[in-house]
Amino acid sequence: MKTFQMQCKFEIIRVLRNRYFVFWSLVMPILFYYIFTNVVNTNAPDKAEWQAHYLMSMTVFSVMGSSMMTLGIRMVQERSQGWSTFIRITPLSDTVYFAAQMMGQSVIHLLSITIIFIAGALINDVSLTALEWVMSGLWILLGSLPFLAIGTLIGMMKKVETAAGISNVIYMVLAVAGGLWMPLEIMPKMMQSIGKWLPSYNFGNGAWEIVRGNMPEWKNILILIAYLAVFMLLSKYVRRKQEAV
Amino acid sequence: MNEILSLTNVTKSFQHKIAVNDVTFTIGKGEVMAILGPNGAGKTTTISMILGLLKPTAGEVQLFNHQPHEKQVREKIGTMLQEVSVMPGLKVREILELIRCYYPEPLAMEELIDLTGLTEQDMKTRAEKLSGGQKRRLSFALALAGNPELVIFDEPTVGMDITSRNRFWQTIHHLADQGKTIIFSTHYLQEADDAADRILLFKDGAVVADGTPAQIKSRISKQSVSFIVDPEISLENLYLHSEIDDIYRKNNRVYVQSNNTDRVLELIFQEKIGARDIQIERGKLEEAFEQLTSSAKEAI
Repeated sequence: MKTFQMQCKFEIIRVLRNRYFVFWSLVMPILFYYIFTNVVNTNAPDKAEWQAHYLMSMTVFSVMGSSMMTLGIRMVQERSQGWSTFIRITPLSDTVYFAAQMMGQSVIHLLSITIIFIAGALINDVSLTALEWVMSGLWILLGSLPFLAIGTLIGMMKKVETAAGISNVIYMVLAVAGGLWMPLEIMPKMMQSIGKWLPSYNFGNGAWEIVRGNMPEWKNILILIAYLAVFMLLSKYVRRKQEAV
Repeated sequence: MNEILSLTNVTKSFQHKIAVNDVTFTIGKGEVMAILGPNGAGKTTTISMILGLLKPTAGEVQLFNHQPHEKQVREKIGTMLQEVSVMPGLKVREILELIRCYYPEPLAMEELIDLTGLTEQDMKTRAEKLSGGQKRRLSFALALAGNPELVIFDEPTVGMDITSRNRFWQTIHHLADQGKTIIFSTHYLQEADDAADRILLFKDGAVVADGTPAQIKSRISKQSVSFIVDPEISLENLYLHSEIDDIYRKNNRVYVQSNNTDRVLELIFQEKIGARDIQIERGKLEEAFEQLTSSAKEAI
């Protein structure tokens, strides 16, 4: 148990010391949030609703990024520098190692969610009911699972540069096409119908529904679960293939 | 018998190549053993199998009478691999703290610093900013963090300067005095000779010699007695003695090869062959070893 706690603690320290994490997962989303709710006039009919909506978009954007990039790139780094091999020789069990990574990642997400929510409340006086804050936070925390699975897939790449490049592209495409930067409604019809099937849109839509006083749609939940299953199977398949060599 | 490690008929083959071929040996508690051999002789593959990183194609590896991957084995071994491993984002002190907590009875931090020569400055440096030498010291500290009974080093002194090399071997002697079992691989005969009390000589994936440094040296370097003698005189009588391995002529001198040069001298006088200008030649150790090395390289 002590090992698990120590492992979690140090996993968290490592993420917080990572400048890319701080920039992409905290600075960028908050900056975007400020710009698109205060500087740029979006002509939103209901200003308060737009401010809450976009706060969710940016929080989802942040957590999605750290799930895929922080986790994935770190996995590649550890393997390419021989650290994973070294860990295999120590008595640390795979289960504890994996659990600590996931736990550490979740704590980091919780922290990002809290910071960005507070920023929203401070910048635009976004006021939601306590239940809405908690529910949307929980949704974002749990909804990150399929993206963590993408992270482990990225983590199987050989080179840090490839992993960083590819994960960046996937991240941006998912964010834009999933309506996290601007609402899907203002995009061409084609884009809209594709976007509705992306994991990023379904991740975001759950949170958007909650701040409108609704519950996430069943479709959102089912699609995210389906993506999670696909990515996990894929990751298992790739791992087996890599081990066979 | 305090048997720490045993390999029984261990073979490892990759697609087209047999890297380790039918290797069998055991190590008892407190031994300091060098795995000596040229590059590509199968040293690293053997060590990887001992550590459980590779599975033998055939045969069995046992540490402390268990399989290499079992937790109770892992708690008793420490290792320094060729690839320098660092955990980015953490300071040296934090990494050591973390690794120490994996083990039931870790070495005290002060002792670890003492043994490895890590400085206060090193301890505060983040892993990704370490210099080559600092990384080596960290790897060494990681190997000792769990206070292991068996320490395994794969080519430990590659990339070390003279000072850190000396310090490293001093520490190894210190650990050996404490009764730890130590295995290290090297391709320098000198290093194996200085540090180990047993040498396992590898060539083309097989163990070709196993013994004390003195035994190994006498095997790979032949001593001989040389002298000048009247060409008319027959040396046939000398051939009858079993102590003599070989007799040949070179540059007007006769060379008599044997491990027991004292006995050869005795025989020369006993047979009254009229030898003069007698010299005892010690085979050049490094030369003989290099010969072994280069032939192995050609075989790859």
